[in-house]
Amino acid sequence: MCLGIGFAGIMSTLFLGLNWAPSVSINAFESPAAQRIFYWHVPSAWAAFIAFGVLFTGSALWFFKRSPLGWRLHVAGAEASLACGLMAVWSGCVWGAAEWGTPWDWTDVRLNTFGLLTLLALFLVLGRQSQPDGVETRDTFSTFGLYGFILVPLTYVATRIWQIRHPGPVIAAGDDGGSLQSSMALVLLIGALSFTIFIIGHMMISMRITHLEQRLEQAQKSLDGGN
Amino acid sequence: MEGTNYLTVAYLGMIAAIALWTWTVVVRSRSIEARLEAVELSIGIDASLADEIAVQSNVSAQDDATV
Repeated sequence: MCLGIGFAGIMSTLFLGLNWAPSVSINAFESPAAQRIFYWHVPSAWAAFIAFGVLFTGSALWFFKRSPLGWRLHVAGAEASLACGLMAVWSGCVWGAAEWGTPWDWTDVRLNTFGLLTLLALFLVLGRQSQPDGVETRDTFSTFGLYGFILVPLTYVATRIWQIRHPGPVIAAGDDGGSLQSSMALVLLIGALSFTIFIIGHMMISMRITHLEQRLEQAQKSLDGGN
Repeated sequence: MEGTNYLTVAYLGMIAAIALWTWTVVVRSRSIEARLEAVELSIGIDASLADEIAVQSNVSAQDDATV
């Protein structure tokens, strides 16, 4: 249900972003049309941060409590982080190519820390698929999930401390104030809520599948005469 | 390239990411189904008889018809 509501919201955001949200000034932007990428780019980055939070929580629960729920959260969080991270990186690169004339800036802290976070998620997803499941494997991946999270607050504050190429915050901007019109902010809010609901639905399904896989594995072992 | 082309490329890429992500969930659930079938086969359960209530209901309906 979450998945359906979230998907409908994401599609509504796309429609509103393309047809209802006002166009930006041609004086302020090199490519005003490409600016509409913003309505999915920001919510997908927001969803990625939530997913990294779930990944961190799951990693901590597994590493310190040996919680089965923690491991399922880790798996679901890593998959969601990768999907949302790739969406944010991809849309950011295309937007960068349109606006700045280059898809990536290796000197920009925000871009590079977020890129590293997405690579971390890729490593965790591919690593889990290629390695046999076991305590050592889970501990290793959980450690990466725990220490990798340090990049999340670093990414968040990057444009506030070292604004190089990536634009500064448009929401919760502090004393500078947000530069967003109310209709643009509304579309962005719908997008953020929709992406949040969508990834929660996806992570719940992923956790259930992981649990089913584990139960099946156990049943197969019992049938094969194992423990 | 036109701004609208950039917009199209960005949104198509993101839609592809959502589709790929959802597809991985479908693949995982199919894999579970295949493994479940293997387990059922090994313990002699017919998958078509998994809905026990429906099977019992059909049997009792047939009994009623013969009476």
